[in-house]
Amino acid sequence: MHIAEGFLPPLQATAWTLAAAPFVVHGARAVAKEARERPESRLLLGASGAFTFALSAIKLPSVTGSSSHPTGTGLGAVLFRPPVMALMGCIVLLFQALLLAHGGLTTLGANTFSMAIVGPWVGYGAYRLTLALRAPFSVAVFAAMMLSDWSTYLTTAVQLGLAHPDPTGGALASTIRFLGVFAVTQIPIAIAEGLLGVLVFRLLGKIAPNELRSLGLDRALPPTPQEPAPAGSRI
Amino acid sequence: MQGLAIDVAAWASPWRHRSPGDKVLLAFGLVLCALLLPAWPGTLIVAVVSIALTVGPAGVPGRVLAAAAGGPLGFILLGALSIAVTRGSGGVLGFTVTSQTLTAAVQTAGHAIAGSASVFLLATTTPISDLLGWARRHGLPDVVLDLAGLIYRLLFVLLATTGEIRAAQTARLGYASRRATMRSAAMLTAAVLTRAWSRARRLEEGLAGRGLDGPLRVLDDEHPSSPRFVAASVGLLAAVTATSFAVSLLPAALRQAGLG
Repeated sequence: MHIAEGFLPPLQATAWTLAAAPFVVHGARAVAKEARERPESRLLLGASGAFTFALSAIKLPSVTGSSSHPTGTGLGAVLFRPPVMALMGCIVLLFQALLLAHGGLTTLGANTFSMAIVGPWVGYGAYRLTLALRAPFSVAVFAAMMLSDWSTYLTTAVQLGLAHPDPTGGALASTIRFLGVFAVTQIPIAIAEGLLGVLVFRLLGKIAPNELRSLGLDRALPPTPQEPAPAGSRI
Repeated sequence: MQGLAIDVAAWASPWRHRSPGDKVLLAFGLVLCALLLPAWPGTLIVAVVSIALTVGPAGVPGRVLAAAAGGPLGFILLGALSIAVTRGSGGVLGFTVTSQTLTAAVQTAGHAIAGSASVFLLATTTPISDLLGWARRHGLPDVVLDLAGLIYRLLFVLLATTGEIRAAQTARLGYASRRATMRSAAMLTAAVLTRAWSRARRLEEGLAGRGLDGPLRVLDDEHPSSPRFVAASVGLLAAVTATSFAVSLLPAALRQAGLG
């Protein structure tokens, strides 16, 4: 849910850009450090960013009969960690504004804040918390994908509510109204994306175990089958 | 794919060989006018000027503009509707539209449509690789530009791969039911991600074999700045601003002169 160009007042657009800037700079430093330590990771991150963009061409079913595409916010947070997602997300959002006309230039800061900062951090936090509670990996992935979507959508509604407060109820009433308008599509899409994440990691565990290991995601790998006990030991 | 349509238009535009800096000045100037000038008549003037420049001298086909406008227009209309509706008696289900909320909604939609039209002007005349080269010359860090350049150069391959796999899945009834759609979307996502990684690994091996150990520099086309284009852009932005203020202040001036 990208906020279109011109939809935010100039001061608020500037404020969201300033709020997003430290996270993006931190992400750039994280990427630079990673590139120094492992030069091959630059190309991996570039390909992963292009993959995040290509997600916009994948259709997901929605309860309302419509379809939408996955945002990849939670998936990216689990695979690459939130600091990297802040920079990668900002670049992908700029490309989406210029190549797909989704979003805008003055609203890039606000969109980066909701989709590349709040979404990944909430998703990653939910993922770590769920794993810490000893829940299965699939549950952690589902929570990461769904909650990153919902937190993104909540942040966008707050951004729009603050920008266009209701004349009687103020920013709170207008935030609730924006939440209500977008809930019809966003709630089912987030659930669908959570299920998609579970299925994707199951497939990746089978077809790309080495890549998952290199990203420190050993828990995503399917359990190795137990060696059958030697025949003599049964006696 | 619509994204390709905007990129193809940018590469084919007669303004493709103009300096990216010149086009950023004009388009971002119009974006700021759309945001800062009074909604009436400022946003209308900016929208008309941006669209006229895009389909006129910049030579972008109108159908590309029309196709690209669908996404932002949907958001703008839905957002404007949310601004127009407020709690109140006399309406439907406790909601009503007042003249104050309607004015706010129309003004916001005006700013958004004019701003989006100005961004189209830049997007449909300047390929992203040109913008990245321009940003590199202006000191943006290599690490950011390398990542952005790689994303730009790989995304078309991945979009094509995504389209081909999806077409094959569709031909095998992969999207015939909700359950099948979910399974197919997961297989498509995993396949595209692993192909992206495999392509990155092969690219890395190829570049490492050629001794690359620094920034991924590529040869940029030089597009020198045109003083005439810059002067015309500044003149146009000044004219848009002056006309907007003149028209918005005209009724008050006429009233003061006893003519209104």
